[in-house]
Amino acid sequence: MSIQSFLLMRHELMLIIIALIVLIAEIFTPDHKKGIITPLAIILFSISLIVGFLPAIEGNLFGGMYNTSSLIVLMKNILNIGVFIILLQSNKWINLLDNRIKISEFYILLFITLTGMFYMISSGDFLMFYIGLETATIPIAALVAFDRYNNKSAEGGIKLILSSALSSGILLFGISLIFGTTGSIYFKDVVGMVSANDSMMILGFIFFISGISFKISLVPFHLWAADVYEGAPVSITSYLSVISKGAAVFIFMIVLYSVFNSISDIWKNLIYVIAIATITIGNLFALRQDNFKRYLAFSSIAQAGFILLGLISGTELGMASVVYYVLVYVFSNLAAFGVVSIISFQTGKENISDYNGLYKTNPKLSLALTLSLFSLAGIPPVAGFFGKFFLFTAAAEKGYYILVLIALLNTIISLYYYLMPIKAMFINKSDNPIQTFKTDITSKIALAICLVGMVLVGFSSTFFETILKYCFGI
Amino acid sequence: MIQGIPIQHFLIVSTLMFFIGVYGFLVRKNLITILMSIELILNAVCINFVVFNKYLFPESLQGYVFTIFVIAIAAAEAAVAIAIIINLYRRYNSINIENINTMKY
Amino acid sequence: MNSEGLILFFLLGLTLVGFAIVFSYFIPRKSENLQKYETYECGIPTYGLSWIQFNVGYYLFAIMFLIFDVEAVFLFPWAVVMKELKMVAFIEILIFFVILGLGLMYAWKKQALKWE
Repeated sequence: MSIQSFLLMRHELMLIIIALIVLIAEIFTPDHKKGIITPLAIILFSISLIVGFLPAIEGNLFGGMYNTSSLIVLMKNILNIGVFIILLQSNKWINLLDNRIKISEFYILLFITLTGMFYMISSGDFLMFYIGLETATIPIAALVAFDRYNNKSAEGGIKLILSSALSSGILLFGISLIFGTTGSIYFKDVVGMVSANDSMMILGFIFFISGISFKISLVPFHLWAADVYEGAPVSITSYLSVISKGAAVFIFMIVLYSVFNSISDIWKNLIYVIAIATITIGNLFALRQDNFKRYLAFSSIAQAGFILLGLISGTELGMASVVYYVLVYVFSNLAAFGVVSIISFQTGKENISDYNGLYKTNPKLSLALTLSLFSLAGIPPVAGFFGKFFLFTAAAEKGYYILVLIALLNTIISLYYYLMPIKAMFINKSDNPIQTFKTDITSKIALAICLVGMVLVGFSSTFFETILKYCFGI
Repeated sequence: MIQGIPIQHFLIVSTLMFFIGVYGFLVRKNLITILMSIELILNAVCINFVVFNKYLFPESLQGYVFTIFVIAIAAAEAAVAIAIIINLYRRYNSINIENINTMKY
Repeated sequence: MNSEGLILFFLLGLTLVGFAIVFSYFIPRKSENLQKYETYECGIPTYGLSWIQFNVGYYLFAIMFLIFDVEAVFLFPWAVVMKELKMVAFIEILIFFVILGLGLMYAWKKQALKWE
């Protein structure tokens, strides 16, 4: 190990060091001084966020177990930004009196899961991939069950840990079959041996895909999502639906494009069906939700379906559009969750019907929520439109016209339910509206970052061009 | 290589274990039993890895190393799951999944 | 490994265990009575069924044991290749131990090791 190799792994090493520093601080600070841990964690994380933007070095470590490239560094930076926003949003909630005794656990678990995701994205073999995946999932289950005195929280936690354990078991079985056919767990060795004629290989591949689909919550494997999202504290829900899903999408894309490229005919058919099912079912179930977190859960299932449209094309444009869409999705979904978490924190209300007449009492918040829902729905002035546009272009370019048509129809359905909260806020009258309140400063900053990001990413073409440049050749 | 036992026998055992695990996961009502079913699945995977490594690729070590990590991670998973189950028991006074149904479609 | 080493190892193990048994036979003060032959010798005769719920305090110890016990699995591959990898592997396993130690200190701080 030289300095060079440390620089290659700087994202992960920084996070591990931060997690250890927070752990040491937790061990050695007395109970009444726990307040210093929040600024410590946020400052350290912002340092690591800045270090992450240093110019990327290409290379691999541990004999090919760990890869990094400009594209992978870009993905990690996107996730880093998302986590930074979540840290700002959760600041007020985590400093509540109830959560006082477990502040550092929140940060440690959050950073460790992020480390797991980074290792997963960078993985060059199935072992690293599996370890990263599990490191990314197990602590999240503990975070979902964070509210010790809330029945729903514990229920969500057990649902997440059991379904993720089953899914990783299935995924592992797939990996073992792939190992049985190829004799190697390294991606670079497996690539050459993948063939459509080997039935054990295909079986392993299908097990593998279903394992990952659990993590992205694609339909038939989406049933855990709504319950877990509803049960978890709002910050964790946003973490699950944005960061965790984004990381899983990235590795899904890398594995499909780099390892299983030679059997793309098979996985394209598979994804074709899954995409249609995911978009449709996500949208239809979102129509009838009243709890805002559940509603956003189904909306994020549908969004994952749209992302598959970019994956299916198999081109550089498709890759770039997926990365771009995740970037847009990070900003817009976190803005929506930001507003939901502020309102839930201030009033404890989480239902859409509670939002009636919000514009009268809290105009700024309702405007922010409106913008973010516009972005999620794909209405032109904000970035979400361009994200969907590129995804549809990528799929249409390869001749998937029917798929694009179905996706467009679904966009129209989604418009209905994305406009429901907006109607509630602006038009509906309420006898008992949410009171006017002052938002805390960190949540405001987080919301501002999201809104600026949403507008900027949409209007400035440099973002998409940069991503497209990095996507050259996988 | 074990004399007189072909690889198929091991694979049949591991596949059976895997599907017994999946079946148990789907039909059992007790959370601890569900956790045990998951252990069955993971152990089936471990058998698969070791057998493939031993019979087909004897000069490689990757399968064995993978097994070690699977064991360690399974323990971590079980620890977190049991901790959550204990908390669930405190809240619901039951570890039967039919009683844990606050959230449904 | 040559056979002398194996024999030495065997003898050493036998001696150490034998020493422990013999030594502990000589140290304590001995007293004999009827209750010593009961299943539980702690005074009160057993009552009730053993199919009861155990104190939840046990589970913390069980989980701690589970975690720290399983981590030992990583020591075996390390022990096999330690000679070839020399210092690098040694430092890496030290880092591993430091992180494990931090975990133990954390458990200690949270009073998970305290019996209530």
